[in-house]
Amino acid sequence: MAPGRRVVITGIASHWGSELARLLEADPSIEFIAGIDTAEPAGDLERTEFIEADIRNPVLARILPGTEADTVVHCGILWYPEPGKSARALHDINVIGTLQLLAACEKTATLRSLVVRSSAAIYGCDGAAPSFFTEEMARRYPLKTRFQRDIGELEGYFENFARRHSDITCCLLRYQPEIGPGLDAPLARYLSLPVVPTQLGFDPRLQLLHAEDATGALAAATSNPVRGPVNVAPRGTISLTKILRLAGRPTLPIPHPLFGPMFAQLGRRLGAADLYNDGVMLLRYGRGVDNTRLREEVGYEPRFDAEGAVRDFVSKNAASRRLFPSPLPGAVAQRFVGSR
Amino acid sequence: MSATSETRTTHEGPLETVAGTAEFLRRLRSGLNDGLDPMSAAERAAVALPKTLRDSVQRVGRRMAGRYHEDEWGFDEEFAEAVYPFFEFLYDYWWRVQATGVENVPAHGRALVVSNHSGSLFPFDATMLVGSIMKEHPLPRWPRPMVLNWAFELPFLSFFMRKVGGVPASPFNAIRLLEQDEIVMVFPEGVKGTGKPFSERYRLQRFGRGGFVEVALRTGSPIVPVAVVGAEEIYPKIADSQLLAKLLGAPFVPITPTLPWLGPLGLIPLPSRWRIEFCEPIDVSEYPPEAADDRALLFEISERVRDTIQEQLYEALVRRGSAFL
Repeated sequence: MAPGRRVVITGIASHWGSELARLLEADPSIEFIAGIDTAEPAGDLERTEFIEADIRNPVLARILPGTEADTVVHCGILWYPEPGKSARALHDINVIGTLQLLAACEKTATLRSLVVRSSAAIYGCDGAAPSFFTEEMARRYPLKTRFQRDIGELEGYFENFARRHSDITCCLLRYQPEIGPGLDAPLARYLSLPVVPTQLGFDPRLQLLHAEDATGALAAATSNPVRGPVNVAPRGTISLTKILRLAGRPTLPIPHPLFGPMFAQLGRRLGAADLYNDGVMLLRYGRGVDNTRLREEVGYEPRFDAEGAVRDFVSKNAASRRLFPSPLPGAVAQRFVGSR
Repeated sequence: MSATSETRTTHEGPLETVAGTAEFLRRLRSGLNDGLDPMSAAERAAVALPKTLRDSVQRVGRRMAGRYHEDEWGFDEEFAEAVYPFFEFLYDYWWRVQATGVENVPAHGRALVVSNHSGSLFPFDATMLVGSIMKEHPLPRWPRPMVLNWAFELPFLSFFMRKVGGVPASPFNAIRLLEQDEIVMVFPEGVKGTGKPFSERYRLQRFGRGGFVEVALRTGSPIVPVAVVGAEEIYPKIADSQLLAKLLGAPFVPITPTLPWLGPLGLIPLPSRWRIEFCEPIDVSEYPPEAADDRALLFEISERVRDTIQEQLYEALVRRGSAFL
């Protein structure tokens, strides 16, 4: 029997890193799984080896070759601060960390494939944008926000690496924002506000990816990596108004020039830190991407479509049930008091 | 007359619609027999329609709970049907549109409807084209207009356009829609067509870079040229304000005989008489999809479509006669 695959996951302590490890542990063809992070993964991982290291540290170039990994999955990219990873460190982790990791990959002779979890933010949000971005349409719009520029830099390094190492299959996954029951993310917190501020006169089309599909696509790309970027998104789109109505959330439309400054305050409270500007643009113009490559080349069919992901989030979100509107004034009053 | 417009807005099963309409008509007739004028008779007959009212209330409730359908482009057919009567009024009474050759739009499958573009302030020609297909075609379906990108940057207009089926004008969008076997409407003149002065009315401008032909070739869609006569007179542009255009970020801001002199009243389009003439479809399926890379061929077909529309425009102008009466 041929020896099994050896997979190393960076950012193992993040939700996506540990969820991926859990899925891969069930796969007998994978002989060895290791996770790199600064903190130990919280979950109940059985056979994943934990390597305590910081991807920003050059010591990584000595650790990684020692694992004899044939696949590296980079889940260390952060969209918003997480416990132990402050907003200030985001740029360092996303850009410098990736650069260090790629340098370490160069030293790893056994490496056959590299999977990077990136973001569809590279396409930007624009009213005039094509309704469905395909993979070759990146950077059609100037990268405006700090997060977008980080992603742009990161993709630049990735492309450079892929060009110089044609023997390694380099796969870049561009994720739409995720949502899911139990997934604590700024967008979920935004949708769970007792009164949700929106931008007056705008109703963006969104594609929220179910957390289950987000992990599923990551695992599919790990076992079947394809070259180049792949959009990870559900089928179809859903408008923000419809999301908020399904969630039974009262909305507060605010003229869009005022929404930005207000959201800056709100964004910090939601844990989105200085990434709020991405949120403002997403919640004004929305963004749709084409997921044909994911379905046909990676071979992953998302279980939930855009509306299904929202429905699942709404039906299982406990806070959402508690806040569901009721025609009784008492219940409405309780909704505001109870949500403190 | 009023009976049909009353019942159109309902969304009941065919049986209930028939029953409701019959009751409404019976009451309307008895009202007329009692010597009432048609308006009062219709008003009295409307008591037969509490069901309609109840249905509307239910519909609003259902939509407020998020139980409505929007396709992946954000097109909301129920919304489009709700605003349709307003455009139908413009179609029937304001502009008295006469449409010919609508059957040239295929009843099934993809098609690229190519039209001249005019109307300066609000290009109503797209809405009337939609109206002509929905009203006159034997198998009506909602066409999907390619809308000037600027509209999608603006509050209200952006989601209105999306909900009635408009998509940002991009070849990628056109190709995807055609691959879904939709009718796509394009206006290759773009802003050059709507922004031309009144003195140049019905003279076709440059047809972009022939991008619409490329889209048709790649998807093997028949091109249906259309000539729209009448939209040039709704806001006759005698000058434009570059200062205002710069301030608003708009492509242009027209000055018409009524705008801005009459204030908001100037926004009311003039009641010109319209003709919409659909030409024979141009079949491009003889060319392979690779032909889309042949620039010379693109320009040749683009010019052929442009000439067809221009000729049809002149003929339709003669057939229309006087512009307003």
